[in-house]
Amino acid sequence: MATTLTTPARTIRPASYVPVRRKKRIAPSRIIATIIVAILAVTWMVPFAWAAITALKSETEAAATPITIVPESGFTFEAFAKVLQQGNIPQWTWNSLFTSAAITLVTIVISALAAYALSRIDFKGRKVLMIVIVVSLIVPPPVLIIPLFYQMVAFNMIDTYWGVILPQVIAPAMVFVLKKFFDQIPRELEDAALVDGAGRIRIFLQIVLPLSRPILAAVAIFVFIGAWNNFLWPFIVTNDSSMLTLPVGLQTIKSAYGIQYAQNMASALLAALPLIVVFLFFQRQIIKGISTTGLAGT
Amino acid sequence: MSASTDIRRVSTPQAPAAENKHAARSRRDRIHGWSFMAPFLLFFGLFLIWPLVHGIFMSFTGKSLTGANSSFLGFANYAEALGDADMWHALGNTLYFTVISTVPLVLVALVMAALVNMGLPAQWLWRLSFFAPYLLASTVVSLFFVWMFNPQLGLINEALAKVGIAPVDWLNNPAVAMWSIVIATLWWTVGFNFLLYLAAMQNIPQAHFEAASLDGAGGWRQFFSITLPQINQTTIMIVILQVLASLKIFDQVYQMTGGGPGGATRTIVQYIFETGFTGYRLGYSAAISYIFFGLIVVVSIAQFAITRKRSA
Amino acid sequence: MHQPLDNSSPGPSRRQLLKGGGLALAGLGAAGLLSGCGGTATASAKDQLRFWHLLSGGDGIKMQAMIDSANQSQGVWHVNPTVLAWGAPYYTKLAMASAGGRPPELAIMHAARVPGYAPGGLMDAWDLGLLAENGVTAEDFAPRIWENSQVDGKVFSIALDSHPFILMYNTEIADKAGALGANGELEEITGPDQFREVATEMAKVTGKHGLSYGYLNDGAQMWRMFYTLYLQHGASMELVPGHKAKVDRDVAVDVLEFIGSLLDDTIATASGDGGTAIAEFAGQNSGMITSGVWELPTMINAGVPLDAMPIPTLFGTPAAYADSHAFVLPHQNSPDEKKRRDSYAFVAQLLKGSLNWAQAGHIPAFQPVVRSAAYKELMPQAHYAGAADIINYDPRAWFTGSGSDFQGFFAENIQNVFLGRTAAKNGWDSFVRRLDTLLSKPNPV
Repeated sequence: MATTLTTPARTIRPASYVPVRRKKRIAPSRIIATIIVAILAVTWMVPFAWAAITALKSETEAAATPITIVPESGFTFEAFAKVLQQGNIPQWTWNSLFTSAAITLVTIVISALAAYALSRIDFKGRKVLMIVIVVSLIVPPPVLIIPLFYQMVAFNMIDTYWGVILPQVIAPAMVFVLKKFFDQIPRELEDAALVDGAGRIRIFLQIVLPLSRPILAAVAIFVFIGAWNNFLWPFIVTNDSSMLTLPVGLQTIKSAYGIQYAQNMASALLAALPLIVVFLFFQRQIIKGISTTGLAGT
Repeated sequence: MSASTDIRRVSTPQAPAAENKHAARSRRDRIHGWSFMAPFLLFFGLFLIWPLVHGIFMSFTGKSLTGANSSFLGFANYAEALGDADMWHALGNTLYFTVISTVPLVLVALVMAALVNMGLPAQWLWRLSFFAPYLLASTVVSLFFVWMFNPQLGLINEALAKVGIAPVDWLNNPAVAMWSIVIATLWWTVGFNFLLYLAAMQNIPQAHFEAASLDGAGGWRQFFSITLPQINQTTIMIVILQVLASLKIFDQVYQMTGGGPGGATRTIVQYIFETGFTGYRLGYSAAISYIFFGLIVVVSIAQFAITRKRSA
Repeated sequence: MHQPLDNSSPGPSRRQLLKGGGLALAGLGAAGLLSGCGGTATASAKDQLRFWHLLSGGDGIKMQAMIDSANQSQGVWHVNPTVLAWGAPYYTKLAMASAGGRPPELAIMHAARVPGYAPGGLMDAWDLGLLAENGVTAEDFAPRIWENSQVDGKVFSIALDSHPFILMYNTEIADKAGALGANGELEEITGPDQFREVATEMAKVTGKHGLSYGYLNDGAQMWRMFYTLYLQHGASMELVPGHKAKVDRDVAVDVLEFIGSLLDDTIATASGDGGTAIAEFAGQNSGMITSGVWELPTMINAGVPLDAMPIPTLFGTPAAYADSHAFVLPHQNSPDEKKRRDSYAFVAQLLKGSLNWAQAGHIPAFQPVVRSAAYKELMPQAHYAGAADIINYDPRAWFTGSGSDFQGFFAENIQNVFLGRTAAKNGWDSFVRRLDTLLSKPNPV
């Protein structure tokens, strides 16, 4: 585990993002590489493109053989309109947004507090806690679904936002990512404040957190993407159509409306849209966040 | 990890007055420490430790989703599970998927990163292309690929037909279905490993390559004698994470094939889900969960041991 | 869109990072927390009834229309349907919702699944008094259907229909094959050889196949055909937990071999799935199709000159496999009495209006509808209405019924028999072994 934790700390430095040098002579190997990568990239875009083309066809055209790239009857937004009108996609999007944001917020708050204590405060029981939390990294979430479901029934949390959110806020790996970062913040800053009689909370809020913005952003990104895309737990804890998250809701749309290929693809694209848009705007931050926290495990 | 606290101990003042102060401080630290930990520990205890313990208890009972028949059974569930051909089949499928998915997910990521790291133009474009699928929910990926894999209307069979290859029944042929899941998974998550590789490669000091260039080492030589050894640690971590992630596979399979055809792609997590919720047998399903957990522990320890040996 | 972001500065500064990920997420979080408690409160004075069903395709559209008109017909309640995938996903979620304490007020289940649900307390029994108040009594149902709705003497399901496995045929092709009687209907077929002959004649007419039967990767289709013919032998099947499965092996092997003999690429395609079979018959490339009644609208819409009948009695005893869509009350810890009453009213209304449902091919369970003149004129539905008197549900056990594991096990062991890869007796024996294992396990309900 120790190795897991050093890597992110090393890569956190912005220096790791040295831009590639531009002024080299163009070697043939690089031309070949560019061609290969371009082919791969195009291949990687095909499922998106094919989904978009299908979604923009009429249902009959989408199911017609031989298949066409440009439909004979022209492109249409019919499928998107139908899906938005009859489906629950706006509600599900909202559910996903709300629960993912809440999970991210709670995770960050409780993980940062814990990480600070583990990094800075010398209290009895700290070592034991560290070991317990490290060991807990090994627990695969699917192992817990049966007892957790039963627990949610007992707490009366089935089909509630609480039921979706609360079991998802424990992220031991993120605690370690944050602890590792806090460990590297120079101690002198805090010691001076401590001598001045500043309380721990104030030091945490006014000194440590502001210095930790990049890592907090990275953790937030990682947690948010994970929560947004989580399928298994929301699938288990929600049943009612109005409570489903986007990934779980999509699973029901697929079956409820039978073979409606254009509408299926339109739904999928609408579900994909929010995070793709966010990604286009915050590409660097997200890529950085993943590179930073990714090795800490999921 | 403990370096910081050691420093503090060394600098402990010696005077009696200061000793009082020290005692007060250590008491205060204890209160502070546990207060800062409290919110995390609350959730940690409620939603991780407690279910983990309660699950073990459940696995010794006949607990059912319907509430019926929750008598204490001892190890009967475990004994049954060990003789349950379906469980072994699901476990076998899971291991099979883990092997045939980890290899391409690591190798393709490595190749992508190595190529992109050669100083290609438009870096953002490649990163966008390879990483974008990772941002999709599993359900979206499944919808995309069920459509791509459609035997009559799918783009893949159409493309194969163009080059004269007979159509493949991607998701309904027991021999092919798991590979189809691997293809979808590769498309979906390889970008994650790719990013990790790319970050690691960009961290290699440029001086290494310059020195090698002066020695006349070509691109291939440089890749094998500098890049690969330098990112060795990253490779180990990626493999470990990938193996653990693949063992937990559920989403794509459940959504694309439902475990079919004929159970050919049913994984252990799906079997846990089905015995518990479709078959109502929560106790039995909990027992299978802990057998699966045992497997994860063994794999983790094995990997940990290998890592330790390597870095020692 | 990306260009502005791809400034070639050496990585984002901390400030940029904060602006990017952190602020945006914090903003999202705050916005979420502020307004997150709203949920989906639709402002309406009507009682909102949550109703789950598993009807998709043509059935789903029909059901939606019936719900809409019921909603508009009164001002007391409003039914909000949730549609889930047929089969295991639906039943799993329904059980989880019931166990979770917030199930829908009303749901549709296959009647054959009810014995697997009711004893465990996942469902509430129907109050016959309250049903009678709404004009629905035991006498309104065929005896076989009513019997099946009971578990331990209580009524747990109210059937909307029965949907047997039937035979549809193309009247023009049948005529050319000389298989029609004087009344314009298919001449009575009384034995397996005669059935093969008729089908072979039809194959000569179409030049493709005589019979369409899709079964590939579809345990339900395999089971429906098998069980119908098995019962026609007068055989029975009893599954009692703690005992070995009571089955008639000779009959079973005989039936499997007979079905195998039809799948010879002349009478019927050797390996076709449900979709292929439907497309083949709809495209008039075969003379007959053995299928569920729910495919009827597809065939009518395809313009096939169509008639239908119960599966001919090939082995002496008239029998047909069937299941019913039935209304159930998922168990509520503290049922809302008002909504309960609303649910009864809604169910009664759908039953009385089930002539609409008959258009989707199903045989209404509510006898006053079946006896009505309007139904007797509904063709070809009226031609197979008699099947309701010879229907048989799955053998009762906690693991049987439509879309159950049971049919999955059947598929796993029998598909290779149909494909000619395994001997009938071997496939059957391994299926029975599977049943014995299940029966030896503790019953979770």
